[in-house]
This record gives sequence, structure tokens and C-alpha cells, in this order.
Amino acid sequence: MAFDRPRFLRVYSFLVYAFLFIPIIVVVLFSFNSEKSLQVFDGFSLRWYEEFFRDDTLRESLFVSLEIALITMVVATLLGTALAIGLVRARTRWSPAANVLMLIPLVTPEIVAGISALIIFSQLGIQLSFWTIVIAHITFSISYVTIVVRGRLTAMGDEVEQAAMDLGATRFGAVRLVLFPGLWPAIVAAGLLVFALSFDDFVISFFTTGEDVQPLPVRIWSAIRFGVSPTINAIGTLMMVVSITAVVAAVLIPRFFGRKESGIKVLTGQEGG
Amino acid sequence: MTARAQSFWARFLLPGGLWLFLLFAIPLALVLALSFGFTDDLGRAVYAFELDNYADAFDPLYLPVLLRSVGFALATVVLCLAIGYPVAYYIARYGGSKKHILIALLVIPFFVNYLVRTYAWVALLADEGLVNSALGSLNISETGLQLINTPYAVIGGLVYGYLVFMILPIYASLERMDPALIEAGKDLFGRPFQTFIHVTLPQTKQGILAGCVLVFLPAVGDFVSAQLLGGPDTYMVGNLIQDQFFTANNWPFGSALTVVMMIFLSFWMVGYLRSAAREARDPVAA
Repeated sequence: MAFDRPRFLRVYSFLVYAFLFIPIIVVVLFSFNSEKSLQVFDGFSLRWYEEFFRDDTLRESLFVSLEIALITMVVATLLGTALAIGLVRARTRWSPAANVLMLIPLVTPEIVAGISALIIFSQLGIQLSFWTIVIAHITFSISYVTIVVRGRLTAMGDEVEQAAMDLGATRFGAVRLVLFPGLWPAIVAAGLLVFALSFDDFVISFFTTGEDVQPLPVRIWSAIRFGVSPTINAIGTLMMVVSITAVVAAVLIPRFFGRKESGIKVLTGQEGG
Repeated sequence: MTARAQSFWARFLLPGGLWLFLLFAIPLALVLALSFGFTDDLGRAVYAFELDNYADAFDPLYLPVLLRSVGFALATVVLCLAIGYPVAYYIARYGGSKKHILIALLVIPFFVNYLVRTYAWVALLADEGLVNSALGSLNISETGLQLINTPYAVIGGLVYGYLVFMILPIYASLERMDPALIEAGKDLFGRPFQTFIHVTLPQTKQGILAGCVLVFLPAVGDFVSAQLLGGPDTYMVGNLIQDQFFTANNWPFGSALTVVMMIFLSFWMVGYLRSAAREARDPVAA
């Protein structure tokens, strides 16, 4: 069968990669177009970027998106890391329930997470605002952190910690001196991944955004519905730069901790197993 | 482990567990509760115990939307599998030293905002878009093809959006597979096709199933692709739910639609969670 012939597979894969990249290349290319056209590239210009940065509300949205992603990253990383440690090390009767509770957000369609957040906020009489978006983002991000950190934790085992305690370290000391340094690459990678996911999120933001501040994807949504506009290409390209920087950092940073394995393995929890 | 060690580690469960319980589990329960409610004359959602919303959800007016969502999502799964498996196979078996770059190149598009990616397809497929102007200048089609506002465009958008979720788990299961098995299969069956059917495919069943679930779940609930690439004829349940919360202001009906969707998805979710739990217990055998 053609299936196991490298040449066929290479051509096939190349076509799939082309399918994946052509739309993105179009967006980036036309963000530098000097004309409004989305069909003909007339010449290089930065006018759509200028337009973006001259627009106060759009610029504000960019900063709001960045702030949300930063706060989400910090809080979700703390909560998710602790949860991962608890899930791997503690054997309580709550552990199985906590494990299921952690996994469900990963398989729940975003729209469901969005409307349940909307309903709880309205139930509690909380006005939708910047903070409702942050809370909803943290909720969906915890599980990603837990999965990534748990993969690293399982691979590490607890022998070194035990040894540290045999040598006189307190349990807390062992966590601080052995567990955290070992987990650090996974924690950083998970944090950056969550930053990118939060920064890009549209659906959950859409359901939890108030009148005052709207993150960039929500703005893009309203803009697209008015029709295709070159400014969206510029916004899309800028967002791409931000989130890809975060993801590339997530992959590369574990290497700076002196590890030969790729950060991809840390992220997908494949290492060690 | 000692009881003291137990209580030490158990404390780590608390903050995250409590957060998810209060802000994920309880809200989900509220969606269920609200689905039995109704909207009063002032347009406020009222809790009650009525089944009207569920009767409405299966009304001939809305049932086609539910069925269409499932149909589109299944088509997306099939296409993603057909497109993704050979790519995963190529990377795992012939990627060599470039494996990590090839995987990174797959993941990068996924981190381009989903709206922006879908919007790119709008620009490509529009009546006066790039594809049609290319077809026109090549004299293939003078009048242009109707590409946007078709079911094909919506399904294409979904495939484009979720393909990576299919490729990664299949790739992971191919990586776990012992390459010696393929050699043994070739000795046993001779032809590559039979080796593939009898050896590779069963060995990667886990990855295929995981990929199908990970594509199916978000595809059913998606409303972006149908909204931007389709029209009223291609509405999916996500669009319907979104309408209930933003335009029709009928939260109880929106909640009932969500519950119906979730019940349908729960079979897939439970299947996936079970295999994930198996994998967490025993990462080598999975």
C-alpha cells in the first residue's frame, strides 16, 4: 500500500502542512498590504498596524488581553501545580473525585464552560467585568497545568525527596529543595501554555465579558461580523506573535534548565513514561 | 505512607479542588437546574421543574439543528482521521531528527487565534475572495464558485480548527509502538497493507480513539465556524445556544439545549476519561 511508502507520505504530509499554513500566511502577508484589497498585494506598508495602534479602544483591548493572560497564568499555575502534587502524592478518599473534577474541564466544550460561568455570575449578582473573565479563564486553565506538572511529577518519583528526609530535611524542606527545583521546568512550561491559551481564548471571554473592557478576541469577533477588514489581519498577526512567543518559550525554557529532553515532551507529559 | 504524610499531601488538593468545585462543578449543576426552569414575563430566568424546554429541544424546528451538529462533527472526525493519520505516521516513522520540528510546525497554527484562522478562511473562500479570483484568472471558473455559506466551508473550518487534536494522540501512540512489531508483521504478513491492518492499526487504537474524542467534543459545541463560514442553513447547536443567551434571552431553553448536548457527549467523555485514567495509572501499558 501507498501508506508505507515514504515518498507518498512525504508529499501527502507536505500538502497537509500547506493546508495548515496557507491561511496564516495570507493573514500575515495582507496585514502588510498598502491597499485595502484582500486579493491583490500592492506593496509593503505598515498602515494597518498604525491604524491599530491609533485606535484607543483596540490598544486598550490588547492590554486587557495581556493582563488577563498574566493573572490567569500566575493563579492557575499555583492552583494547578498544588493540585498535581496533591493528586500524585495524597491517597485520600477525595483523590478520585478530585481527579475526575480536574479532567472534566478538559473534555467540556468551551461553550458549556462559558454559559455555566455566565449563569453562576448572574446567580451571585456579580456584574460581568474584567475579573469575571479572569475567574472564568483560571477555571479552565487549572487542568492544563495539572496535567503537564503531573506528567513531570510521575516521571520524577519521590526517591530523592525520601533521601533528603532521611538526611534530616523536614517534609516542607524536601518540597522546597527537591520537589520544586525538579518541577520548575514543567511549571514554567505549563504557565506559558496557559498564558497563550488565555490570551487566545474567545468563547469563554465572550460569555463573561461586560460592557466596559473587552479582550481582543471579543473585539475581533464584532469586527469580523461587520465584514473583512485589513486591520483584522494586523491584529491577527500581532496576536500570533504574542502567543507563539509564549509557546516557543514554553518549549525552549526547559532546555535552559540544563535538560536535554525537548520541552514538547514536558508539555505533552510524555517524558519518562 | 504515614498518616502525617497523608494529611501533608492532602492539603495540596484543597485550593485547586475547591476552586474547581465552586466555579466549575456547581455552575454545571446550575445549568442543569436552570434547564427545567422558564422565562417569566419580564424576561427573567426562573427555576422550576418543567420539561417544556426539553420538549422544545426535540421540536421539529430545532431537532434538525441538533442532528446537523452531530453530522458535521462526525464528518469532521472522519476527515481529521483521514487527513491526520498519514501525517502522524510519516512523522513518527520517517521524521527522524526532524520529528520535533515537524510536531512544532503542527502545533504553531493551533496557537494562532481560532477566530483569526477562521477569518482567514472567510477571506480565502468569499465570493470575491482569493480562491475565486485565482480560479477566475486561471479561467477555470468565470462566474466563481459558491464556497462560503456552504456546509463544506463549515466542516472545512472545523477540520482546520481541530486537526491537531487528532494528529498528536495518534503520533504519541505510534511513538510508543515498538518498531520491531512492524518488521515482525512484514515477516508474518508480507505485504505492507496487511501489516498495517493487523499490526499498526490495532496498536494505535488508543491514539485513534483519543483523537476522535478530542476532535468530536469541541466540534459539536463550536459556533464560530458555522457563524463565520456558514449561513442560517448551517446553524449548529452552539449557534442556537448562543442565541438563547444573547439575543432570544431564554436562558432556560439555552440551558436545556446545553444539557441535551452534554448528555450526548457524555458517552464520549466517559470513554475518554476512563482511558485517560488507565493511562495515568499505568503509563507504560497504555
